[in-house]
Amino acid sequence: MSAVQLSRKDKMLLHCAPIREERVDDRALRTALHHARKTEAFAVQQNFDKAAASLVQAIPIPQEITEWIPPDTFIAPTRRPWKNYAQNPAFLATGIAVLVITIIAIFQLVDRLNRFPGEPTARRLLTTASSTHAMMLDPVKTDAGAIGDFLFMKHRLVHYDVPPEFAELKTLGCRVFDDEEGQRVAQVWVVEKKMQFFLFPAERDPKTGKAREFSGWRNLEQERWAGVVKEDKGVCFMAATRGTAKDLAPYISKPKN
Amino acid sequence: MLADVAKAQEVFHATLREAAQLAANSEAPRDRLWFFRNARWRCLEAGEQGLQAEDVDLEQDELAAWAPSQIEKLEPQQLAVWISGAPDPQRTALALFYLDEFNYRDLLSVTELKPPELSKLLCAGRRQFQAWLDATIPASQT
Repeated sequence: MSAVQLSRKDKMLLHCAPIREERVDDRALRTALHHARKTEAFAVQQNFDKAAASLVQAIPIPQEITEWIPPDTFIAPTRRPWKNYAQNPAFLATGIAVLVITIIAIFQLVDRLNRFPGEPTARRLLTTASSTHAMMLDPVKTDAGAIGDFLFMKHRLVHYDVPPEFAELKTLGCRVFDDEEGQRVAQVWVVEKKMQFFLFPAERDPKTGKAREFSGWRNLEQERWAGVVKEDKGVCFMAATRGTAKDLAPYISKPKN
Repeated sequence: MLADVAKAQEVFHATLREAAQLAANSEAPRDRLWFFRNARWRCLEAGEQGLQAEDVDLEQDELAAWAPSQIEKLEPQQLAVWISGAPDPQRTALALFYLDEFNYRDLLSVTELKPPELSKLLCAGRRQFQAWLDATIPASQT
């Protein structure tokens, strides 16, 4: 006798084990069969069932019946419920792959929608903002709205104007420098939230030399710094602060004239 | 199920006629199991009209290793009569199981039984059949 101990569930399933192995397509039953394969009792049951089934197979089927075997047209074409498709590993794998591709595509689409001309320069300047101290700038205490005149008068920078949304803020200092591409960049430090403004030339079309325009405010975030960028008359304005886009949202939510 | 060729043929033809009628009305049976379920109910109806087996507790014996040689000595008709004499749903379970046409799920579906019920009926059926074999064809004759 074999010492294999079978669970109650295994015993229950084994009593219903199909005579032919190819008919075993149930996972629990297959497991039970695996457990019982070496037991004598199951071998006896299988031999008993095989002998009885052979006897049944020996029953002659009348000619009249064999001629009447139902044609397939009597059976409706099988309609597999969606759950069956969902459980099929091939469909499951394809579904997951499609889902992942869709998510990536959505991310790329959102990323693309957020891109704007001059974004690389804006990102570079965000890095500059994070490493700048107020003492590096020339002290200029005025309204931000007036800084455009100051930049024009002192540095001959045309249209380097602070948008009305930020015009009322008080400035602490200002400097003008050339960036890596030789573009003139104005950097302004304001009192509120230690915010910094950057004014720089908008990206230009290499063929026509015309500034690439875009409408409204664009957000960008980088290394715990956030910026909002707007283009006007070929010059980009960026307000940058340490934090997230939420910190700058109140300033740009209500357009001012 | 019936142990009567004429009745079985009648059930067979009636089942096919109904399937053909449904197919003609564009309501063809959804799967092959429909044929077996339909035939089963027709067999049970036909069985009710004849002599009814007495409701007695049959003797049960442990399955014997020499059972196959005992079964070999039987005529198919003897097995058919024995199964058709069993009370339903045991009769259905044994008849469909030894038809060797179904997997586990299909068998549960056609017999309309729960797994523990089917298991119990098949286990008891085997043991009762073994007891009958021992009485009909003693082991000394094998």
